[in-house]
Amino acid sequence: MVKKVLITGASRGIGLEFAVQYAAAGWQVHACCRRPGDVSFDHDIDVHALDVTDQASIDALASSLEGTAIDLLINNAAIFGGPHQGVGDTSDDQWELVMHTNVIAPFRVTDALRGHLARAAEPIVVHISSLAGSIADNHSGGIHLYRTSKTALNMVAANLARDLAGDGITVLALHPGWVQTDMGGKSAPLSAKESVADMRQAIASASFAMSGGFFDRNGRPLPW
Amino acid sequence: MPTAVITGASRGIGLELARQYLADGWLVHAGARRPDDAPGLSDLASPRLVVHRLDVTRSEDAASLATSLSGAPVDLLINNAGIWYGDDELYGRFSDEAWIEQFRVHVFGTMTMVAALQDNIAASEGRTIINISSGSGSFGWQAKSPDYPYNSSKAALNMLARGLALDLRARGIIVVNFSPGFVSTDMTGHDADLDPATSVAGMRQVIAGLNVAASGSFLRYNGEAMPW
Repeated sequence: MVKKVLITGASRGIGLEFAVQYAAAGWQVHACCRRPGDVSFDHDIDVHALDVTDQASIDALASSLEGTAIDLLINNAAIFGGPHQGVGDTSDDQWELVMHTNVIAPFRVTDALRGHLARAAEPIVVHISSLAGSIADNHSGGIHLYRTSKTALNMVAANLARDLAGDGITVLALHPGWVQTDMGGKSAPLSAKESVADMRQAIASASFAMSGGFFDRNGRPLPW
Repeated sequence: MPTAVITGASRGIGLELARQYLADGWLVHAGARRPDDAPGLSDLASPRLVVHRLDVTRSEDAASLATSLSGAPVDLLINNAGIWYGDDELYGRFSDEAWIEQFRVHVFGTMTMVAALQDNIAASEGRTIINISSGSGSFGWQAKSPDYPYNSSKAALNMLARGLALDLRARGIIVVNFSPGFVSTDMTGHDADLDPATSVAGMRQVIAGLNVAASGSFLRYNGEAMPW
């Protein structure tokens, strides 16, 4: 049976690469992005309009997929939050937008698709996190908006792992590495292609026992 | 005379911090959202207590507190103000707005206070920032309830403190987060195993012995290390 994956933030970067690679591997791909007109795929991919900060948009997506089993949800949509992230240089409204997009939205999307996931045999929710959200690994300070959002996301993943265990859903937080994307910049050491290929392998070999954990792209545990 | 600024000081742990630092001879600037409705602070009735109208989610309140200090040193800033929604923290029971409000109080509010007072703190002898975090924000503490807004905002606060410790090290400022224990207060419904006096006495003793090497750490009220 053809496996189904739903990916948020799929118009570019890591999300786009996930869509392309899963489609090439024979999966049915639901690629979600804010402006579906901005993206076109060579593969047969279902593109959906989704603003993850808009509950009505999330609900509409869930309704349009009513009855569909989703094997894999990749909460990838995220923002960095701009250059003003130092002490005395932050804006609460900007920080709120980062928290809404990077923390609350992954919860809301997961919640809306919980029933779809529960229909799958071995459902997995992957949150694209970042090593920048590892408190233990913070040796350089700064970028407070982004860092706090990814730490908070990891906590959401840990809580979801407990609350969705009864539905047999595995929940992972993954660090993709430092990747050449609009967010990561051109000097990043890793291509999106390599990062996503590694993460796909880690996801394929993930077990329910790993649920609630934080891992690098090769499935190795990272410190909180 | 050493000086402390304490947020959320009208009751619970904040009020007890104010009480004990006053008893120890400190000058205490106590922040409360409704100073007119803070009988606990009124009862302290000390000439060394200055009560400020302070909602940490309002940067103008933090700015006016800073202005009123007119450059006076602040040895100790304690970011204590916090909120918790009880059972409404659980899966599916909270609104986006309620979740954001916890980020505003616990995370953005802490940054607002630090930004407003960092010069006063750097000019002091104590140069210490304490954030009242929670075991609920600890990944390693398995006993916690899955309270989404509270856990995620306290975990974010732990990250912020670690970052602030690094950012402010060059100014000689120490930043430490505490898990105060499960303390009997209005927030916990007075259904807890630890009284505020014991928790605060423990934290005060640990704070008095802090040095730069401890900056960026997360400690229990008795000084034991907490896991992230």
